[in-house]
Amino acid sequence: MNFFRTPAWRMAWREARASAPKFLFVVFGVAAGVGALTGVRGFSAAFHDSLKREARTLMAADLLIRQFGEPTEEQEKVIAQWEQRGARLSRITETVSMLAGGENEPPVLVSVKAVDPATYPWYGRVRLEPEAPLATALNAETIAVSEDLMLRLNLEPGSRVRLGDAEFRVWGVVRLEPDRMTGSLNVGPRVMMTREGLQRTGLLVFGSRASQRLLWKLPAQGARIEELRDSMRKTFREALITDYRETHPFITRALDRATTFLSLVSMIALIVGALGVAMAIHSHIQQRLDTIAIMKCIGARSAQIIRIYTLQAALLGLAGGVAGLAVGAAVQWAFPLLLRRYFQFESLAWSASFAVEGILAGLLVALLFTVPPLLAIREVKPALIFRREMPETKPPLRLRLRRLLPSAGAGALILAGLGAMAAWLAGSVKTGAWFAGGLTAALALLGGIAWLLLRALRWLMAHAPVRLPLWLRHGVANLYRPGNHATSILVSLGVGVMFTLTVYLVQNSLLKEVMVAMPKGAPNVFLINITPRDADAVREFLASRKDIDGRAQLVPTVAARLEKVNGTPLDELPPPPGEEQRRRRNFTRQVTWMQAMPEDMRILRGAWWSDGSREALQSVDENTAKRWGIEPGAVLEWSAAGRRFEARVAAIHRFESVRRGASDEFVFTEKALAGLPVQYYATARVRPEQTAVFMRDSFRRFPSVTVINAADVVNIVQEVVDQVSLVIRFIAGFAILAGAIILASTVAGTRLRRVRESAVLKTLGARRRTLVSIFSVEFAILGGAAGFLGGALATGFARLLMTRLLDARFDPEWRANLVTTLLTMALAIAAGWLASLRVLSHRPLEVLRDE
Amino acid sequence: MTAPVLSLRDVAKTIDTGTHRVEILKDISFDIGKGEFVAIMGASGSGKSTLLGLVAGLDTPTSGSIRIEGDEISRLGEDELAVLRGRKIGFVFQSYQLIPTLTAEENVLLPAELAGEDLAAAQQRARELLRTVGLEERLDHYPVQLSGGEQQRVALARAFIRKPPLLLADEPTGNLDSVNGKHVLELLLSLNRREGATLVLVTHDRELASHATRIITLRDGRILSDERRATA
Repeated sequence: MNFFRTPAWRMAWREARASAPKFLFVVFGVAAGVGALTGVRGFSAAFHDSLKREARTLMAADLLIRQFGEPTEEQEKVIAQWEQRGARLSRITETVSMLAGGENEPPVLVSVKAVDPATYPWYGRVRLEPEAPLATALNAETIAVSEDLMLRLNLEPGSRVRLGDAEFRVWGVVRLEPDRMTGSLNVGPRVMMTREGLQRTGLLVFGSRASQRLLWKLPAQGARIEELRDSMRKTFREALITDYRETHPFITRALDRATTFLSLVSMIALIVGALGVAMAIHSHIQQRLDTIAIMKCIGARSAQIIRIYTLQAALLGLAGGVAGLAVGAAVQWAFPLLLRRYFQFESLAWSASFAVEGILAGLLVALLFTVPPLLAIREVKPALIFRREMPETKPPLRLRLRRLLPSAGAGALILAGLGAMAAWLAGSVKTGAWFAGGLTAALALLGGIAWLLLRALRWLMAHAPVRLPLWLRHGVANLYRPGNHATSILVSLGVGVMFTLTVYLVQNSLLKEVMVAMPKGAPNVFLINITPRDADAVREFLASRKDIDGRAQLVPTVAARLEKVNGTPLDELPPPPGEEQRRRRNFTRQVTWMQAMPEDMRILRGAWWSDGSREALQSVDENTAKRWGIEPGAVLEWSAAGRRFEARVAAIHRFESVRRGASDEFVFTEKALAGLPVQYYATARVRPEQTAVFMRDSFRRFPSVTVINAADVVNIVQEVVDQVSLVIRFIAGFAILAGAIILASTVAGTRLRRVRESAVLKTLGARRRTLVSIFSVEFAILGGAAGFLGGALATGFARLLMTRLLDARFDPEWRANLVTTLLTMALAIAAGWLASLRVLSHRPLEVLRDE
Repeated sequence: MTAPVLSLRDVAKTIDTGTHRVEILKDISFDIGKGEFVAIMGASGSGKSTLLGLVAGLDTPTSGSIRIEGDEISRLGEDELAVLRGRKIGFVFQSYQLIPTLTAEENVLLPAELAGEDLAAAQQRARELLRTVGLEERLDHYPVQLSGGEQQRVALARAFIRKPPLLLADEPTGNLDSVNGKHVLELLLSLNRREGATLVLVTHDRELASHATRIITLRDGRILSDERRATA
C-alpha cells in the first residue's frame, strides 16, 4: 500500500497541518539547535576544505620552514643547492618591537614582519589600501600597518613613525595578508616592511631571537615536494616544516578541538529544541484524547495510534531540521566575522554535506524525546468516550510500579541515544558518555530544583500574611494550570542560561587569576632584545629611575643546544617519557650565567661555585638531571653560534619559587659561556601609573629595546580569551534562543485557554491593564526563575571547574547573576507576549458565544 | 436454539478508590439473541453507561463473565479488546465522535483500514452506506462542515462498515433536535434490519425505547425488570 494513503499518514499530516500555528514555534526551537550544529560543523568542514584547497595560499609557498634564528652556514649551503635546482626561496623575518608615532607618544608593542616584496608571496596576494603592488608600496623607507595601529596612533598614509633606530613613512593599511594564519603568534598590531627596512632598525643583531620563515616554491618540473621536505627535515632539525599537502598541524588540531567542543554546545541547543517537541506532542496528545479513545473504540491498537503521533513528531523534527539549514547557513556566514581578527577568509564555500547530518540529528533527537509522551498513549482509556466521571480503581503498588517500567525504559533509551550522538559528534565514546551523563544530571538537577521552587512559590502565595493584588495571585496561579508545563519551561530556558553564564564566569575568573598570579612586588615590566652594547647603559638607566621600586634585574641569555651527556649524543640516550619531552630535548634553549647563587635556589647535590670561579661549570635542575641521569661530575657538551663547548656539572639544584625568563634547567658560570653571543633582558617593578612615561623614556634612549608591559600582555590574553568566549557564547546563545522559543510555544499552546479566561475576566470587569499584568507576572516569574536557577547552577559549576579542575580561585559574581536574571526575565516577557499578541483583542461575547 | 450474541453471567462492577468502595453493578445476568433490539433504561446513576462500557470491552468487570458470540472478553488485554471491537462491535455515540481531520468517507472507512481490509472493496461499501444515509454528496466533507444530524448519519455508516454482529448505541439522538432525531432513529432501525445486527441501545427516552423488542431496566446497579414486548 502507498504509505501516503495510509490512515496513519493521512491523520498525522492533516493534524499537523491543522495545528501548524502552534507547532510553528516548536519547529523554530528545533531549527535553532540544528542551525547551531550545522553551522559549526559546516563551517569547520568548509574551513578544513579551505585549508586544504588554499594550502599554498595560506602558507604563501609550496613548503614552509619556521625556526628561531637565522639559518646556519650548513643550512645555507643546502639552501643554495636547492636554489641551483630551480627551487625559489623567499625569506620572512618576524619579531616584536616597539613603534612610536610622535616624540611624546608612548610606544606600542607591534608584530613586525619583514618580507622580500619581489618574491613574497608566492601564492595569494597582499592587499593594501591605498591599492598598490607590494613591491611598489614597500621599500627600505616605508611600512604598511594594520588598521588598528592606524587608529591607535592616529596615523594616516604619509605619517612618520619610529621603529628601532630608524624612521619610516607609513604607506597605508594591510587589508589582506594571505599567510597570516601560518605566521607567528601575533601579539600586537601588524607592521609589514622590507628586509632592508628591518636592517635599518638595528633590531636584529647576532643572537637575537626573531622567527625566520623560509618560503619555498618548486618549479613545475623537476624536484618533487617529498624530496625537498626530506632534505629540509634533515637540515633544519629544530624547525617546524609543513607543505601544501597537509594542513597546518597547529591550526587543524585547534580547529578539530574547537569543532568538537562547539558541536557539543550546539547539541545542548538541539536538546532544548527537542524538549520543546516533546512538550508540544504531550500537549497535543492531551488535546486529542477523545480522538485516541474513539480510535480504540473502533478497533485501533495502541501501536497503530502511536504510529500516527510518531509520524507527527517526525514531521516536526524534519521541519525543524530543514528550517535549521537556513539558520546554519547564517551561522556559517557569521563565523568568519567573529574570527576576522585572527583569521582572514577570502571566501568560504558553504558545505552541504553537514546539512543531511543536521536534519538527521534534529529528527533523531525529536523522536527520542517524544518516546515518553507517545508511550502514554497506551494508558488512554477508551471508556473516556462516555464523558462520565468514572472513578478509577486505585491500582495496587506493584501494578503502578510495573507501569513505570516503560517510562524508565524510555528514559534509559533517551540517555543512550544522547550518549551515542555525543560520542559521534565528539569522535570519542568516553567524551560522549561524560557529556550525556553530565547534561542529564544538570537537567535533572535543574528540573528538581525548578519543581521545588514552584511548589515553594505556591505555598508562599497560599500563606502570604497580607492579601496580595489580584494580578499577582492570578499570574502565579497560571503557572500551575494544566498544560502550562512550567517546570519544563524553566529547565529549557535555564539550561541555556546556565551554560552561557558558566562560560562567562570561568572566563572572568581565569583572567582575574592571570592578574592575581603576579605576586605583589613582582616585576611588571620586561625589557628584551638588550644587546651587549646597550647592557651597561640600560643598567645605568634603570638604576637612575625614580619610578622603579626595588632593584631592576639585568639577566644575560645565550641560545644554546645540548648535544652530548658524558660523550653520548642525546639521540642515543634512553628516551624520556612522553612525546613532549622527546620533542623538546633537541631544542635550543635560552641559558644564563650567575656567579652568586640566587636566594631562591637550593643545592641538592654537589656544590655551588665560588664567586670568582674561572671554570666552565654548570648547575642542573633536579628534574632534568633525573630525566637524563645527570649527576655532579658529568660533562655536558653544548653548541651555540656554530661553536661547541663543554661544561662540568658542579651541582644539582631546585628553585624554590616560580621564575620567569631564562631556562631554570641549566645555570652556568660566566666562563662557560664566554665569547658567545649574548642578549640581555631586564625586569623591573615600575609604578603602574608611571609605566607610560617609563616606556616613552626607554624608547627614546634605547629604540631597539622592546619593553613589554605586563598589563599589555594581560590585555592581549584578555582579547584572545574574549574572542574565544565570544564564539562559545554565540553558540550557547542558541540554547537560550531555543528555550525562549519553547516558552513562546507553550504559551501559544495554551492560547485558547487564555482567550477564554480573558473573555470571562473582561466580562466580570477586568481592564486590559489587569490582564496585561496577569500575563506579564506569569512570564516574568518563568523568566526570572530560569535566570536565577541558571545563574545559581552556573556559579556552582564554575566553582567546581575552577577549584577542582583548574586548581584556581573562584569568587562568585553576584552582579552578573542579577543581570542574567533580569535579562532572562525580559526575554521571557518578550517571548510570551509575542505568542499572546492577539489574545486580548477578542471581544468577550464573540468568545463566550462560541462555547 | 442458536447461541446468544451477548451473554452476561453474574457480572459485577465495584470501584475501590482507596477511601471508599462503590458497587456500581451487581448480579447482572442476561442473554441477548441474534437480531434482537434491546433498550437498556434507567435513571441517571443506575449503571446503564457502565454496563454498556463493560459489554463493549471498554472496561473490565470486577467479577462475572461476558461473552460475545461465545468468546469470553472479560480477561482479554487492551489490544485484543481493540481488535475484537473492530471485528464484532459497532458504536454509535451521543456526540457522534467523528475524527475531525478525516472526511466523511474516510471516517466511515477507518475501521476497515485499521483492520487491514482490502481498500477497494471497503471503499465501495462505505460509499454505498453513505448513499443509504443520504450523504452521497458529502463524501469529502469534514465533520466541521456537517450539521449534527449529518455527523450522526456518518457515525451510523461507520458503525456498520464491518458488518458487526453487535451494535451498541449510547443515546444516539440525545444531541439532536426532534426532527433530526427521528430521521436518525429511522435510519438506525432500517440499517439494522437490513444488516441483521443485534442492537443494544442505552437511553432514558421512553419514546425511543418503545421501538425495542425488549427493555431491561436498571436501578441502583441491579436489573429491576427485563420486559419482552411485541414489535412496535
